[in-house]
Amino acid sequence: MDRLTIPLHRSERHLVPLVGFEWSMILISLTLAGIGLVAVFSATVASGQPGRSLVLRQVTWCSMGLVLMAASLLFDYDVLRRWAGWLYVAVVGALIAAWVVGKIAGGSQRWLEIGFMRFQPSEFAKLALVVILARYFADRGGRGNPEPRELILPILLTALPVGLVLVQPDLGTAGVMLLISLSMIAFAGVGRRALWWGAAVTVGIGVLIFLVGDHLMMEYQKKRLMTFLNPGDDPLGAGYHILQSQIAIGSGGVLGKGFLQGTQNQLMFLPVKHTDFVFSILAEEWGFIGCIAVLGLYLALFLCGLGVVGKARDRFGALTAFGCTVMLFWHVTVNVGMVMGLLPVVGVPLSFLSYGGSSLLAAFLAVAIMVNISMRRFSY
Amino acid sequence: MIAVVAILAARLWHLQLIQGEAYVDMSRSNRMKLIRLTPSRGRILDAAGRVLADNSPGFTLGVVRGELSNPQAVIDTCAPIVGVPPERMRRLIDQSRSVARFLTYPIKKNVTLEEVSLIRAQTTDLKGVTLEVSPRRVHPFGQSLCHVLGTLGEISPEELSRSAQIGYRGGDLIGKSGLEKEYEPYLRGVDGWERIEIDAMGNQLGSRGRKPPEQGADLVLTTDVQLQQFVEDVFVHEAGSVVAVDPDTGRILALVSNPGFDLNLFSPAISQRQWKSLNSDPLNPLENRAIRGLYSPGSAFKIVTTSAALAERSIKPDQTFTCKGELELKGQSFRCWNPYGHGKIALRRAIIESCDIYFYELGLKLGGDVIARSASLFGLGKPTGLGLPDELPGLIPTSAWKLRTHAEPWKDGETVNLSIGQGYLVATPVQMAMMTAAIANGGKLLKPAIVQQIRAADGRIVFDHAPVLRWKVPLDDADLTFLRNAMLGVVSEGRGTGKRCRIRGIQVAGKTGTSQVIRQRQKLTDEAEMPYHERPHAIFVAFVDSMPKKIALVVVVEHGGSGGKVAAPIARKIICKYYGVPDPGDPEE
Repeated sequence: MDRLTIPLHRSERHLVPLVGFEWSMILISLTLAGIGLVAVFSATVASGQPGRSLVLRQVTWCSMGLVLMAASLLFDYDVLRRWAGWLYVAVVGALIAAWVVGKIAGGSQRWLEIGFMRFQPSEFAKLALVVILARYFADRGGRGNPEPRELILPILLTALPVGLVLVQPDLGTAGVMLLISLSMIAFAGVGRRALWWGAAVTVGIGVLIFLVGDHLMMEYQKKRLMTFLNPGDDPLGAGYHILQSQIAIGSGGVLGKGFLQGTQNQLMFLPVKHTDFVFSILAEEWGFIGCIAVLGLYLALFLCGLGVVGKARDRFGALTAFGCTVMLFWHVTVNVGMVMGLLPVVGVPLSFLSYGGSSLLAAFLAVAIMVNISMRRFSY
Repeated sequence: MIAVVAILAARLWHLQLIQGEAYVDMSRSNRMKLIRLTPSRGRILDAAGRVLADNSPGFTLGVVRGELSNPQAVIDTCAPIVGVPPERMRRLIDQSRSVARFLTYPIKKNVTLEEVSLIRAQTTDLKGVTLEVSPRRVHPFGQSLCHVLGTLGEISPEELSRSAQIGYRGGDLIGKSGLEKEYEPYLRGVDGWERIEIDAMGNQLGSRGRKPPEQGADLVLTTDVQLQQFVEDVFVHEAGSVVAVDPDTGRILALVSNPGFDLNLFSPAISQRQWKSLNSDPLNPLENRAIRGLYSPGSAFKIVTTSAALAERSIKPDQTFTCKGELELKGQSFRCWNPYGHGKIALRRAIIESCDIYFYELGLKLGGDVIARSASLFGLGKPTGLGLPDELPGLIPTSAWKLRTHAEPWKDGETVNLSIGQGYLVATPVQMAMMTAAIANGGKLLKPAIVQQIRAADGRIVFDHAPVLRWKVPLDDADLTFLRNAMLGVVSEGRGTGKRCRIRGIQVAGKTGTSQVIRQRQKLTDEAEMPYHERPHAIFVAFVDSMPKKIALVVVVEHGGSGGKVAAPIARKIICKYYGVPDPGDPEE
């Protein structure tokens, strides 16, 4: 990717996309999605016919992701800036709709059904949050350290979807949203004073959640948080997930047990393995080598993302690219940390690898946005 | 970011490379399936070797959720065959989510062989349907000896918490009553196990060690089921009990508690409805009256009062009292069963004709506590140790007991009541049988036994019954002979209350008892006109000691009326059957 600094003539504008095109990001995300398909296949093969249909569905989501990615590259990402408010309103509306529909159906739910499709608005809410925060900080401009009160709006913008996700209840997604938002606020160059304020508010919210946690958190969530502290306590109860996951990862060793040979996986010792615990399967069947390769791919993707941040043509582009990168980054960190027993089991999918359409589409969209920002860095 | 990824990689390194070996071991033990090999339960046999409780294969229909591809088809085919409503079956299949997906979840137990073949034939193309063989208890004699054999049932959470460490698991069958409960450790056997390795696809690769189960031991009873069934058939009355023992060994020859129930109802599990109807029956068919029925022995207790008097030497047998049909004591009047009175009467005749006034006077002379001591020497007031669970001790009232529980001193009226086996005094039929046996065997109070042998599966005899002498009743031979002769007179003499037990050629000794269930007879009404629950219990104790094989027995007919009229004929029929002589019927008046 040559760094062309010569301004192009109007008639040459159509060439621009190819010049700054981030082939590597596309390639990495496709590779990861491919690995995800293999892992999901391995995870579900033992359950027979229903398992095969899951893999087919994931293939469908992958193709849809590709089409969506291609389509979104056709527009200048400035569209996002202009429509940021509406996007935000749309996902918040979808979150409320999911909540209302869930209430009516009895209990709560995370997904909305449109025609034959089921999607989780919370996955897209993260992207919308990135875009609206990027727009807010871009509009503010780069002038100095903002006053604490200037952080009130971003905090409110974050709190609304986080609250709606918490009532679902989806602790993991809410946590990741909070992390994304905090990362972006920090990146937007807020001063030390504002950061302190931000930290204080975060701690305050944390304490509040802790105090009302009894009502907000479901029994299983409390149990999971408790057993995170000591999984050996209750090996067949709530600590089961994490212990079996660690056994799967640990027993993979250097080279792994081989494709479809993971006993933890194939004998169904691992719960929710094709979604949140897909990394454990990878670790069991492909070993340390396979895991390092996947982590390497993720790291490369993050670094590419940071590269895009550096070369974006404007502040909105840079902030959006950063937001997309941290979104993927936090997903990977929380998920991998969780399956390895470093973080509590909260239920965050591993971008590109976990089974699930919404998560996959959101990941592809994030990459598409970054590619878009990168390839339009010369088009003013 | 690089740092965070590095942390994750470091953790990965730690898990996979440093601790890897340990986790490999853990995953290997995960794929070792330890299969429990359950032993078959010991059988229960009668004295002649007839099987009373056996095992037969029972089939259980189950589903394996992980393999179940088409639950609706399974419901459509299996529900009509086994007779489970489709909705209920759907619920059960939904509940199978509660177990791991490769485990079998039971849908219906006790599927018949016919149903099994139908299911086999129609589900060849359906995955996830299993038919497992599990032994179930069968009782070829149904109701016979039901209270003694007892029932099996699924282990309860409390029982499980007590016995999990000795190898019980949820869903196991455990003895719930009777011998099945008392001899559970012998009958059950010892679990075996087999360690099976399975590959990633769940296929069994082979055995990695096996310990066969030890089959449960068989119980051989002292009872012959033919006599038992005869006694059950002869006892036509609604409620009551018969206990017959061999007075020389204490072996139970027959033990009946009416009403009973069909043991096969409980196998493999009793239905809710049947349980309710058994449990709410006012006659309480589940209760073993022989060891838990508490009855005033009534006049049968006069044996004990007489023994007390003879042992204490407080009277001579020729001591007389005058019966006017009534005794005035501190303004209270105590009646004899014979309102016309027996006149001047000595001990022997008082026993034969069951004169109450004589024993009132005798009792007052002895005092309540002397009678009570004699009663405890005859084994009343304490469980006999027959070896059936939850045996009741009965009650012997004493002045100390009265003061302790009622905070009142003992009254003479209570001595009067105690002297004829009424009042607070209660005893179980098995206690009365052992009391009678003690007279028959020369004063030995034996421990009764229902289990003759415990035979381990390899033929070893773990336990063989030998008579257990609890103690000797302090009566000398002359006293015993007197008592025996008086009891023979009860049956053989024309005015004896037990004459309905007379059998030509067999010397039967006996004593009747008609025990009041309401405090005091207001007036002498015809028993047939009395409401059922106010009618007295009919009691008859009897023994035969002059034949090579002896027998001592007690017959208790709840609310049966007169002991001589109702209970004695039953005893006669049993004795006739026991000695193989024809029943002469009731003698003419």
